[in-house]
Amino acid sequence: MNQTYLRACAAIVLSACVQIAGAATPAPAMSVEASGVARAAVTSGDNQRMPFAVVDKKNARLHVFAADGALQASSPILLGLARGDRSVPGIGERAMAQIKPHERTTPAGRFVSEPGRNLGGEDIVWVDYGAAVSMHRVRATNASERRLQRLASPTASDNRISFGCINVPATFYDTYVKPALGQNHGVVYVLPESTALREHFAFLPTQAAR
Amino acid sequence: MIKRTAPLLAALLLGTAGMAFAQGNPPNNASPNPATAAGQQTQQGTPMGTTGTPTAPAGGTMAAPSTGMGTTATPPAAAPMQPAMRPARADRN
Repeated sequence: MNQTYLRACAAIVLSACVQIAGAATPAPAMSVEASGVARAAVTSGDNQRMPFAVVDKKNARLHVFAADGALQASSPILLGLARGDRSVPGIGERAMAQIKPHERTTPAGRFVSEPGRNLGGEDIVWVDYGAAVSMHRVRATNASERRLQRLASPTASDNRISFGCINVPATFYDTYVKPALGQNHGVVYVLPESTALREHFAFLPTQAAR
Repeated sequence: MIKRTAPLLAALLLGTAGMAFAQGNPPNNASPNPATAAGQQTQQGTPMGTTGTPTAPAGGTMAAPSTGMGTTATPPAAAPMQPAMRPARADRN
């Protein structure tokens, strides 16, 4: 009884920590790569006047922008367990149990996102529908994965746990992701971690791609 | 009075009926179809002797309605701002 009570309390505290960590910060830290891609996306017109998001895999952070390039907010996120910038062909058709650890990548690149639903009926944002990569509220259904704790921790190194999806704190999702990308098409730029920026974003000016 | 007007009314009615008959297709020797050559009409392009609306062409799609000379088809309504949602599927969590 006491143990159950303590566990429940711990979950509530953790959830609150995640909400605080996921709350909008007025001056979010943004890497040079992320800000460079965001700036170039707008100046080159690559975002096609749509709201967009930059997923910084190296720093495990998500930055949400308005169509005009104004930063809305940033948040820590969870990403695919495996390092790598490509999706294994056909992975979107495979059951989760058939996906090997080294295949759990979050693919890098430019994706036209779209609002959608998963099989559980949850509203999500499809980043790559074919590869079944979405952006969604963090799910703490498997306690052993410690997703909430990973999101709440200040380090990015432990934010690699998903099968490829981008997990976002629930409050941040509802406040920023859903209004920007959950109603209409948008663009999601997932920065690479093991390949060159320019390999994925041809619109970058030469100096920003270095 | 009635005796005087009755023949006039009858003549008017016959005249109107004659006008109605006159609006049918006149016989046409050039038509290869004996029925239409005799002045019979079909509506909606159905074969002679059939009733009802035309069936959809093979393949199950409805034919686009034809428009008259010099008219333009009404463009489809503008696509809604919200995109059509793709079928739900499992995500990679």
